[in-house]
Amino acid sequence: MIFVLLAGLVVLGVGAVAAAAPGAFATGLRLQAAGALALGIAGFWALTDGAIWGASFTSVLTPHFGVDALTGLFLGTLGLIAFPALVFASAYLQPTGPGRATGLLTGAFVLALAGVLCARDALTFLFFWELMTLVPAAIILVGGSDQGARRSVFVYVAITHIGSAGVWVSLLLLAREGAIGDASALADGSGVQGVVALAAIIGFGTKAGVMPLHTWLPRAHPIAPAHVSALMSGVMIKVAMYGLVRVLVEWLGGPPVWVGALVLGLGMLSAVGGVTYALFKHELKRLLAFHSIENVGIILLGIGACLLLRARGADEWAAFALAAALLHTVNHAVFKALLFLGAGAFQKTVGTLELDRLGGLLRRMPWTGATFLVGAAAIAGLPPLNGFASEWLTLQALLRIPAYGGVLDGVLGAAALAGLAATAALAVFCFVKVVGLVLLGPPRRHECEEATDPPGPMRFGLAFLAATCVVLGIAPGVLFSQLVGLAPWASPEPARPGLSLPTTGGLPTTGIAVFLFLLVPLLWLSRGSRRAAPSPSWASGQPLTPALLWTSAGFTKPLRLVLEAVLRPEREITVRSHGGVVQEVSYSGRVPQLADEWLYRPAARHALSAARWARRLQTGRLGTYVAYLIALVLALLVSVRIGILG
Amino acid sequence: MSGATVAGGMAQVVGGVVLAPLLPGLVQHLKARLQGRRGPTPLQPYRELRRLWGKSSIDVEGTTAVYRLAPLVVVAALAVAILLVPAADRAPGWGVGHDALALAGLLALARFAVATASWDVSNGFSLQGASRDLTLSVFIEAVLVLALAVAALVTGTTDLRGVIAGTAGGDVWSSPALALGAAAFALVVIAETGRQPVDNPDTHLELTMIHEGPLLEYGGRDLAFLQWGAAVRHWLVLVLIAQVFLPHPEGTWWQLALLPAWLVVLCAALALTETILAKSRILIVPRLLGVAAMVALLGIVAWLVENA
Repeated sequence: MIFVLLAGLVVLGVGAVAAAAPGAFATGLRLQAAGALALGIAGFWALTDGAIWGASFTSVLTPHFGVDALTGLFLGTLGLIAFPALVFASAYLQPTGPGRATGLLTGAFVLALAGVLCARDALTFLFFWELMTLVPAAIILVGGSDQGARRSVFVYVAITHIGSAGVWVSLLLLAREGAIGDASALADGSGVQGVVALAAIIGFGTKAGVMPLHTWLPRAHPIAPAHVSALMSGVMIKVAMYGLVRVLVEWLGGPPVWVGALVLGLGMLSAVGGVTYALFKHELKRLLAFHSIENVGIILLGIGACLLLRARGADEWAAFALAAALLHTVNHAVFKALLFLGAGAFQKTVGTLELDRLGGLLRRMPWTGATFLVGAAAIAGLPPLNGFASEWLTLQALLRIPAYGGVLDGVLGAAALAGLAATAALAVFCFVKVVGLVLLGPPRRHECEEATDPPGPMRFGLAFLAATCVVLGIAPGVLFSQLVGLAPWASPEPARPGLSLPTTGGLPTTGIAVFLFLLVPLLWLSRGSRRAAPSPSWASGQPLTPALLWTSAGFTKPLRLVLEAVLRPEREITVRSHGGVVQEVSYSGRVPQLADEWLYRPAARHALSAARWARRLQTGRLGTYVAYLIALVLALLVSVRIGILG
Repeated sequence: MSGATVAGGMAQVVGGVVLAPLLPGLVQHLKARLQGRRGPTPLQPYRELRRLWGKSSIDVEGTTAVYRLAPLVVVAALAVAILLVPAADRAPGWGVGHDALALAGLLALARFAVATASWDVSNGFSLQGASRDLTLSVFIEAVLVLALAVAALVTGTTDLRGVIAGTAGGDVWSSPALALGAAAFALVVIAETGRQPVDNPDTHLELTMIHEGPLLEYGGRDLAFLQWGAAVRHWLVLVLIAQVFLPHPEGTWWQLALLPAWLVVLCAALALTETILAKSRILIVPRLLGVAAMVALLGIVAWLVENA
């Protein structure tokens, strides 16, 4: 099977080069898709096989590559997303100059992601990690480099680079201690262990868009082309989760309780915060980007629960919690990629993603609309789709924290439980809004009226991912039973379609799905065929004109009012009257990003003033620099003399 | 399968499917009596269902399958929920499990179906109701899960059969945890059944509707499905509060025998709250639910302090 993997990588590379050639553009992208498919098959094979291909993890700093079960899971997910995304891209991208460059860079991006996952030493990992950050930035700039895009890319690169210092610190420290791939190398409760954990949480957390380090994510993800957004939200931020699981769960041994508590707290903040801000976004891709933050939060809740339960000795449930987090990782990759690709199809057809300017697309684009509806129901955590299964598992894992823990972590676990329940309800709210404004109701602009479904390859990409949502929702146990074995202290469960854990009522997803899928057609028959004359929707006797239609802001207003104290929304109403008669009323409102205003803006301001101060040292006169050098030499000599150095 | 299991299963299905409309009927009847009116008989909901069943449904112009399927999805989701919530500590497997936390997902599915349907008809009043319902659902779901978590911690399982068995008898009441969970769950009952002070089920003013709003455009059998759904919500939460959060005896037969009495008492209690409380302002309700969440959290803390 390792040959399938290698062949997949080679085909990906060839496809990337071919996509850059004018004549072979679509062929190149399809070749890339085939390579990604091979990657996915080999990855899932490695997961079930459990064997180790190539090198094992090493603290040596020379290049090593290899695959184990956890890498296999993420490689499989990469293939599962990249395959439909690249098929989609073969019709979505135009073979123009920028389009061909995007095709080439997409292949490079997939290869970089695979490189991070297969790296077996710190330096290779860091090399591909940086590549993985830079390639999407290049893709965005190739696509369109207006002022706003350049600024977003700058914010993205700057923040992820400052954050990835944490990745460097944690991995190089681990390598120094010889702890890469060796859980027994670090003493439990030692200072190094704490530093590594903290650095890893900051480093990988920034890349994953964990609140409050998330501010780059909703800027960068929406401006990339749809298939790249799908890969970024679906896979790239999951690779950060991969790193976090490696460091915190595999290599750190038994980290202290505060590490788990910190991860859990950050997860809760990201989950609730991400979905809340998503509700008040009125542009589809930005909204989806905030949902990525929410789902990373849910994954972190699972990882945090795993760490806390492990620290309390509840190993069985710790393995379940980790498996819940990993299952949600796969699930989120699938439905988020589906939603981003759907958004791309809408944008290509209608030309905008402003929620208030769409509408009526389910009827006019039945393929895209129906698959998008499946994705929306899946991300909202509704049975019988895949989001429900992993959210249920995460809820169960969180419930076990008070059951096994002390008072303090028990209360934290209970709060996280309530937070996740509220998150699920908020996600339902948000996707009711999205589905309603995009797919349902009358079309709100001319382009929506004439929209039609996109060509075959794009439809295929969407249908493939929607089918995956349904399959993973009906039989999550097949994957889950394998994931339980990924915890270093546990072994895989026997495979079964549903979920059945001790001390729960079990979640026989297949039974629930069968009931739902059987009952709805039966009820449809019992609904009869008698219909009253078709009537228009009732609007107090008026015709339903566009001015009477509800907007995104209006639908979410009750919640905005309820959460006013937390969100601090800004609104401005200007009334212009002339001679006592109101001529014009203009209204504007927005929900500001508190992390931006309270964290990033002050940080940037202080950094700039520090830089202004430091600039005084740089006089540009030769004499000053010679003086600096002399001072440095003297200082070194003195410190050697008094024994600080050497 | 023992006789008790069969009886439990019968009670669950017959009660949930057939007797559920009796519950809102009983509340309306008792409420009228409390207010000095004669009021409709408790059987009134059945009459309404029969009347609606004979009428033709309405397909509003410009709507899609989302609008047409919504009542069916609601019925299907709640039917699975009926099978999920056992009437006593024994029930047949039914193939859908008996997990407490899965219930939240099924209720959310029903809510999603109705709320998307109101976007499909684009009726402003429907959307107003849907938007308020979804706003409150954020807090209701958190309280629901926390209250169920209290019961799950006390009994050591989230299997509702095990929870009902574990909370039976008098021993669990020696700790305040379950009582605090019950107080929180009481608010879930009021919110899910759409009663005052959260919602007013009798309102005929569209601007004040919450649960009724999204149903405005429906008629005929569609509306019958949705009204049955509202009755089933009564059944689900009232059975849960009676068999989990209120004192109940050990032994399946005793639990089944006492359940009707508890349901009547609970309907009377709902009628009483409907009579003495006014509907509160929509923005006040989340605070109320926030208090309920805190109470449930306190229940968990109480349990932790005793057992950690």
